[in-house]
Amino acid sequence: MATLPVEEKIAIINHYDANPEQALNILVDLQFASADGYIDQETAQLVADYLGMTETRIYEIISFYAILKEQPQARYVLKICNSSPCHFSGERAVSTGLKQILDVNENETTADGMFMYHGIPCVGACAQAPFVKIKERVFANLTFEKLEALIVDLRAGRYPEL
Amino acid sequence: MAANDNVLMARFGQYIDATDVQAYCKQEGYEGLKHVVSLAEPADFLDELDTAMLRGRGGAGYPLGKKWRHLFYSENDPKYIVCNADEGEPGTFKDKALLEYDPLAVIEGMTIAGYMFGSPQGYIYIRGEYRNLHRRFTQALEHARQANFLGENILGVAGFNYDIKIISGAGAYVCGENSALLNSIEGKTGRPRVKPPHLADVGLYQKPTLVNNVESYADVPVIARMGGQAFLDLGTEDGGGTKLICLSGHVKNRGLYEVKLGTPIHEILYSPNYGGGSSTGRPLKFIHFGGQSGPIGGVAELDDCAYSYDGLSAHDLTIGSGAIVVMDDSVNMVDYLTSVAEFFAHESCGKCTPCRIGSLRILETLQLFQRRDAVPGDLEVFESMLTHVTQLSACGLGQSIATSMVSGMALCPDEFEQAINWALPKRQEVSW
Repeated sequence: MATLPVEEKIAIINHYDANPEQALNILVDLQFASADGYIDQETAQLVADYLGMTETRIYEIISFYAILKEQPQARYVLKICNSSPCHFSGERAVSTGLKQILDVNENETTADGMFMYHGIPCVGACAQAPFVKIKERVFANLTFEKLEALIVDLRAGRYPEL
Repeated sequence: MAANDNVLMARFGQYIDATDVQAYCKQEGYEGLKHVVSLAEPADFLDELDTAMLRGRGGAGYPLGKKWRHLFYSENDPKYIVCNADEGEPGTFKDKALLEYDPLAVIEGMTIAGYMFGSPQGYIYIRGEYRNLHRRFTQALEHARQANFLGENILGVAGFNYDIKIISGAGAYVCGENSALLNSIEGKTGRPRVKPPHLADVGLYQKPTLVNNVESYADVPVIARMGGQAFLDLGTEDGGGTKLICLSGHVKNRGLYEVKLGTPIHEILYSPNYGGGSSTGRPLKFIHFGGQSGPIGGVAELDDCAYSYDGLSAHDLTIGSGAIVVMDDSVNMVDYLTSVAEFFAHESCGKCTPCRIGSLRILETLQLFQRRDAVPGDLEVFESMLTHVTQLSACGLGQSIATSMVSGMALCPDEFEQAINWALPKRQEVSW
């Protein structure tokens, strides 16, 4: 996937009137539009210039907020809620299941760059546990078999929107 | 409670597009705003709010009428209206449902506030994890503007100019703390401010600011429509209205429900209309109320207790956000609290030492208990640590880490005692 052309980045910034109040909206949108799911240094500098903020302040924001990333991410990042309601409702089966299926530890990317999984705090899908969340989509009430099928489907590109 | 008694979920799924203003108006939408605008004195509505005894639905339970009165008489302008939609308490998903299925009710509540305080600008801070709801809310705002329920001279009232902006959160639990949330809106890192001053005096951009939860705003048009007394009558003397509750954990029917305040907890857990009893076949053991920052109560102890502010308060418990996380007897309290401690150690913003270091030490001690490596005296050390973190932390996050720990230890003291190797000598030195 190609990186986002600079004109499109500027369009996102201007959509929010280049207002520092909208720094989070802008950074989150830029990250979602990016190929590798992170804010690269060039993009951080661009946002800083347009918002009249220093690059340091932009990186302060990126490093403070958990959703914003400073490093390239795997093609599919599978998020597992590890807060108490989910943790005791089958979360462990999902994390051990993924370790077995993908053969990597939490926060490690598979050799082909396709998958990474990690725990996150609550995403408000507590009634659907155990689940994984990829971008905006929740895959609910998982079993080991469903999890295996999901990985096969993702590899086969059956979720192009993710 | 029967579905047709619902006041907050009444419109859920009733029309195809929840952002459609005309459909909203056909179901009592904007009647609350029209009523408030028709009042000779806006202050009269403050009396209705007091009568209604609406208590803040974000978790703190502070009477909304008092908060609004404080801001009403706060001098200095402009005044800002902020909606806290940074729903992050694990086990809570009610604000998500309101934003998804009835966003215009939240907008109407915020617009009533805008009128009452002569505010030019409202903000809604929606957590980053609810990114799909940003689009829906943007559309609802656009439809409200087209129908002149936002913009200039709203409802034909000269000078009633008001609009609402959406701000995205980005995955920081601490931004649910109101002052941290305001810093985040200002484009800063979302760390809490030192209080006082009160946000109603010195809030967003140092101006008087109202910050309320999504569900609280959705309740405001209901009060305007039905009147304070009728709203109070839906609940109990100590807290009027209905409450959205989020059932999760080991009950059969997990999900979102609307209950009248005062509904028996036994009914919420076991009635087929709500929880439906245990999903695991094992007896239900304890309930964690209101998210990670809330207290833990025993299912057996609460058999006769009503789900209301005063009912729970009699057991030293609180409603909080409305989360009801139910665990069966397979869950050991030490294990459960270790999971809670992991959350706080992860989410502490790092600004103040007691919370930054304390949350980590609490986690380490609980892990020690889990391994059964603790020695006599460690429980006392743990308890003092909890007291210190509660008393010395700067904001509500650190101050509430111990809430679940203290209530959980009181409920299952034996499970903590089993974590101690009593054969070892007592810890003599103080470990800090």
